Amino acid sequence: MTLSRPNLIKLLGPLVVFCAVLVVLLVQSGPQAPDLPALGAGSDVGRPSGDPVADAQAAVRSAPGSAAAYASLGDAYLQRARESGDPSFYTRAERSFDAALRRDGADVGALIGAGTLAGLRHDFAEQLRLGQEARRAAPDLARPYTVVADAQIELGRYDRAARSIQRLVDLKPGLAAYARASYFRELSGDRAGAVAAMRLAASAGGTPENFAYVQALVGDLELARGHGAAAGDAYRSALRALPSHPQALVGLARLDAAGGDLSSAAARLRRASERLPLTSTLVLLGAVELAAGERAQGRADLAAARAQQRLYFAAGAAPDADAVLFEADHGAPLRAVQLGRALWERAPSVRSADALGWAFVRSDRAAAGLRWSRRALALGSLDPVFRFHSGMAAHAAGRSGRRDLDVALEGRGLLTPLQAKQAQEALR
Amino acid sequence: MRKLLLALAALAAAAIAVPLGFGSSHREAPNISLDPAADNTDTYAWTAKDAPGALTVAANWIPGEVPANGPNFHGFDDRAHYYVHIDNTGDGRPDVSYRFQFKTQIRNKESFLYALPGANGFNDSKLNVVQRYNIVRETYRYRGRRGVQIKEKTIARGLPVAPPNIGPKTFPNYQTFVDQSVRSLSDGTKVFVGQRDDPFFVDLGATFDGINVRKLTGNQGEGKDDLSGFNVHSTVLQIPERLVTNDHKAVSGADASNAVVGVWSTTERKRLQVTDATRARTRGNDWVQVSRLGNPLVNEVVIPLGKKDQFNRTTPDRDAALYGKYVVKPELAAILNALFNVGAPENDRTDIVQALLQGIPDLNQHKGVEGPPAVDTIKLNLGTPPADTEDRFGVIGGDVAGFPNGRRLGDDVVDIELQVVAGILKNNPVPLGDGVDRNDKPFLTVFPYLAGPDSGFDSRPSTRVEPGHPPVPAGG
Repeated sequence: MTLSRPNLIKLLGPLVVFCAVLVVLLVQSGPQAPDLPALGAGSDVGRPSGDPVADAQAAVRSAPGSAAAYASLGDAYLQRARESGDPSFYTRAERSFDAALRRDGADVGALIGAGTLAGLRHDFAEQLRLGQEARRAAPDLARPYTVVADAQIELGRYDRAARSIQRLVDLKPGLAAYARASYFRELSGDRAGAVAAMRLAASAGGTPENFAYVQALVGDLELARGHGAAAGDAYRSALRALPSHPQALVGLARLDAAGGDLSSAAARLRRASERLPLTSTLVLLGAVELAAGERAQGRADLAAARAQQRLYFAAGAAPDADAVLFEADHGAPLRAVQLGRALWERAPSVRSADALGWAFVRSDRAAAGLRWSRRALALGSLDPVFRFHSGMAAHAAGRSGRRDLDVALEGRGLLTPLQAKQAQEALR
Repeated sequence: MRKLLLALAALAAAAIAVPLGFGSSHREAPNISLDPAADNTDTYAWTAKDAPGALTVAANWIPGEVPANGPNFHGFDDRAHYYVHIDNTGDGRPDVSYRFQFKTQIRNKESFLYALPGANGFNDSKLNVVQRYNIVRETYRYRGRRGVQIKEKTIARGLPVAPPNIGPKTFPNYQTFVDQSVRSLSDGTKVFVGQRDDPFFVDLGATFDGINVRKLTGNQGEGKDDLSGFNVHSTVLQIPERLVTNDHKAVSGADASNAVVGVWSTTERKRLQVTDATRARTRGNDWVQVSRLGNPLVNEVVIPLGKKDQFNRTTPDRDAALYGKYVVKPELAAILNALFNVGAPENDRTDIVQALLQGIPDLNQHKGVEGPPAVDTIKLNLGTPPADTEDRFGVIGGDVAGFPNGRRLGDDVVDIELQVVAGILKNNPVPLGDGVDRNDKPFLTVFPYLAGPDSGFDSRPSTRVEPGHPPVPAGG
């Protein structure tokens, strides 16, 4: 067969389709659809431009009927949201996944992406539904189990979550599986097991960002069991891989604060929140500043946290346990109880129980607070913040709370300076 | 699995995974399945001209290593198992396997440097990070379909891995590390482990661009090697024939009953038990295969999305049952026809099954096995003499010492597989190809054969363009 010039021109029409098909094949053949820039006929000589959103848009233009192309665009928007901390990209991601699912309701990539987005917005029932659909569409694939397991954890279905995570491990051990196994063990109070699994996750690595993320979690786990030196090693290792990684900076700031150096802690937290304006970082920053006696600055940063929180709500995210705790500690405790009850309805997890319990304590309803705190510890969690809440609830209810407060203080690195001080005073 | 786009993807977009939304305690762990340290990129098996009595195998991992990647230099994962497998009966089950296990030593934990300037050799204390490995040789004896007895012997201990080539200031004489990494074992096996130039060559971008269609179908060069300048981590073994054949003897010739071996590589990761409750169920099976690679591009082009994890998890002896249908009726043939009207047969492609999975009769098909079974291994006849002048098209180019009779570093597997799918074995020669005919760097004529890695300092990925030439095959 030889191709003459006119034949070539005739080929250009189908070629666009060809490119589209290849885009789909290649995007799908990748290990990680969200991060694969699609090759599109519309982009410059078909090469990835380095901008996943632009590449995915090119793929959509060249294959407007392709569910996979739209799913890759949704993934690119989710990634953009992660990089920038700007939740307005959620809305665009949602439109892309909707478009993908209109074209093919069983497209695995679109189901996984939409499920991940639902989880990011704390709609865990929807996350579970989409994850299960993805699993049905591709029962031999590991990735749907990440969506299913994350939802089951947040919905308080721990036995099922354990089975889903085990299945994930059995299908494809790696960072995603190990990190989830670690979280489950942590919730169950298996601290050594949680550290071991998270170290496996860090060893499996992936991109520097993935490595830094799980390495910072190793640091948090070490901090929770009072191993400050090991925690510092882990945070510094994360920062070597990715300088100014926000979670690792927050970790070092916690170590500073635990060592009494509040100004260094505040400086690190400010750097972290400039890098990525997470609400949780701003709340901790405000708390550190308040503890240092810088009341005006502390209030300003807590206000910034509240503004950031509004952005998430505006982008469709429902209040989660941290929102309840923020309201309880720095807002209106009665409002926190309302939020906490609504949260429990949607997400009956140990984290929700802990937050609701603390909202009761802060509303001077210690008995109710203690009841909910006990539910938070049903799996045996040794989380210092859970234990602080539970111990303080007991203390407020006229009991000692000593056992819980001892555990909390062992992991004081994860408490705020005020929490550590309150725990110590309660123990006297 | 060679993910064609991974190299570029890794450059383009790091997978950022931070908690979104309000909280810090609500874990949003990455749900990626990306695992470059465990990712097999390519496996090669051939008879080297300077080692005619040995099986030479190169297995590569970690796709798309950018040389200038400091401070995150690549390496094997200490917590994974890396395997090269050899099947000497044709049933798709390993008979001899070589397991590589790594251990990384950091001499000065306070330093973030891989090495201080001027580091020269593994004993130089200026080298801060040293990765070492053991090799465990496993031999298998099967009883019936299920029963297997595995014998293990550690044949190498504490050998050094040639480090990433950081640059001429840090490593003024990088070759010292390479020389110190080439080792001979007491059983006559030769081994090298370390960073090398990625020997794969392909034009990723232009292949899919309209302007270059003429060259795509014309196989006349002018492609841009998108993997030039990228590195991988390699294990290279040169094993005396008697250690891999089914009768423990050297191969007397191409017709000998012990002449054909099948080769592939895999990676395993540790299984763990999430809770005590799940512990009982998974007892006694502590490792899970997460990646495998026999013939090039099988997972990318043949295996559908929903089966890719399963393909990576399963062994070749189950290939016919699990994936046979995707080979017999390949999607790629239909696509090529729909768009280029090349007349590729779309059904009953037993020719592809034979070429890639069963072996070609009287060339690289295992002798004395019924069927023979279709298994994704690189089947090499150890008795085929190496070619004086290699043809990049291998067997379809008339050079029987090349792919798919084994796979040499220079075999142009992208062009070969495109032309095979288009039907060259069924008298339908079409000059398909990606326009890149050879690697950007020449291969070595001596062990370890793969070209040295670009250094981080000199790094300039994706610069080589293939010169133009008349279409191949000419009569297409």
